[in-house]
Amino acid sequence: MQYCTACQTAIATIVIMDLSGGAVTGSQHLCAACAEQLGVAAPKAPPKFSAEILEELLGGLKGVKVAAGKSGRLEACAGCGMTPAEFRSKGRLGCPRCYDTFRTELLPLLQRIHEAQGHRGRLPGRVGTLPALPDEKGLADLRRALEEAVRGERYEEAARLRDDLRRAERGEGARP
Amino acid sequence: MTRRRDKPPEFRAGAWLQGSGPENDIAICTRARLARNLQGFAFSPCQKETDARELFEFVMARLKQPGMPELVTGVDLDTVDELERTVLVERHLISRELAGSKRARGVAIDKDESVAIMVNEEDHLRIQVFAPGLQTEAVWQRAERLDDALIQRLPMAWSEEFGFLTSCPTNTGTGLRLSVMLHLPGLVWSEDIERATNVAQKIHLAVRGLYGEGSRALGDFYQVSNQVTLGRDERQIQSDVFLAVSRMVQWEREVREALLRGAARTKTLDRIHRALGTLERAQILTSEEALGCLSALRFGVEEELLPDLAVADINRALLLSQPGHLQRHTKERLQPDERDQRRAQLLREVLGVAP
Repeated sequence: MQYCTACQTAIATIVIMDLSGGAVTGSQHLCAACAEQLGVAAPKAPPKFSAEILEELLGGLKGVKVAAGKSGRLEACAGCGMTPAEFRSKGRLGCPRCYDTFRTELLPLLQRIHEAQGHRGRLPGRVGTLPALPDEKGLADLRRALEEAVRGERYEEAARLRDDLRRAERGEGARP
Repeated sequence: MTRRRDKPPEFRAGAWLQGSGPENDIAICTRARLARNLQGFAFSPCQKETDARELFEFVMARLKQPGMPELVTGVDLDTVDELERTVLVERHLISRELAGSKRARGVAIDKDESVAIMVNEEDHLRIQVFAPGLQTEAVWQRAERLDDALIQRLPMAWSEEFGFLTSCPTNTGTGLRLSVMLHLPGLVWSEDIERATNVAQKIHLAVRGLYGEGSRALGDFYQVSNQVTLGRDERQIQSDVFLAVSRMVQWEREVREALLRGAARTKTLDRIHRALGTLERAQILTSEEALGCLSALRFGVEEELLPDLAVADINRALLLSQPGHLQRHTKERLQPDERDQRRAQLLREVLGVAP
């Protein structure tokens, strides 16, 4: 039995574990009230719980849908978590997906730097023999399985699926 | 001046200080650099330490696969000490940023030091190809072949619209930065350098000092490179840089001729011989002063005013007078003031000059 790490008074009934590479790297014990207050868990509101953990778990992955912002403002990149503020202050992109996420801000920037907004020149698609392209359907299946595993709170399975997905995106195939 | 024929200190110049190639009296070296990133890994601003290590191992393993057009050997920069990393920076094989980074990172280098692939710099890969003199076409072709081989081994991040996707939007598109290192004492001494720099900037070329911080160019060494990587293809970039640099080389030659004619000649000769005098006699030489003197000497040698010296000697001196090479050569860690003394002594040995 453990006390809630947030209020230190109530008995913790919820454990939030950080998973990395299939191993637990950290955990947080919370009581239901604190969990609700912190927005990490609400009774009968598992989707929010899942979405947050999913985002955390998917850090660095592309192709995962993130709910559109309520305010309609530009959201953080779903691929790497880079926020619009970070992009503006660093002037750097965080992953290939940022090119879509920050597209509206990027185009005028590219115009200023290069006096152009589109590429002319070589592309891997036009180079001799190509590496096998990632199997898009396989990727979609993996992503769905991953989301389901997170929703079902099967974290070890989710971590394994995440690693498989990463490898698949690199065209390596799943580990046996 | 008496010139001793002592055994010169051990020295390998690498591709970039060979002193050969077209226009080598002014153009020291040409470099093609391609910025590339891999799909499935976050770019450096969002990269986690464990991902950096995974990416590094992944790339190094792929570079070992057979069929690469270049034979490169990987160096994990965590396994070499700070001094060796400084030496690699001074040899232009890695950037200062890569050397100082705390993440898993490294470089794959060929034995001639004409190819260096940095891993986990600002972009996952920075493919560099060097050739002595002005050789934009040759370095581009070699870089293209190498890029083809890497594209077959590694899942590059790209899009039809933006080309190769890079961490910084200044490299997006071709990811190609073509640079030529130039020695321009004529333009500096005649105070035409600002005009030359402005002309270059008007056609979207960047001009920076090769040594020293910011805009100050120590030793009259400059680096001219394309700024635009998007909206122009590699052939256009290559031809833009080649034409612009050829014009600068021509300009430098004309100015040098003027500096060696009529009344200007005595002033020029005075400056060159004073530099030689300093190198022969000085007991303390900062790297800044050494670069200035060596620049004047190089000018003298190129214009056949100092028959006892060869460009190879100057190049060797340029490299060995830098802190990393100096300390590696003397095999001891030196404080800056100790370095300045050893530098004065070493340069006399390297150049074979004695009072």
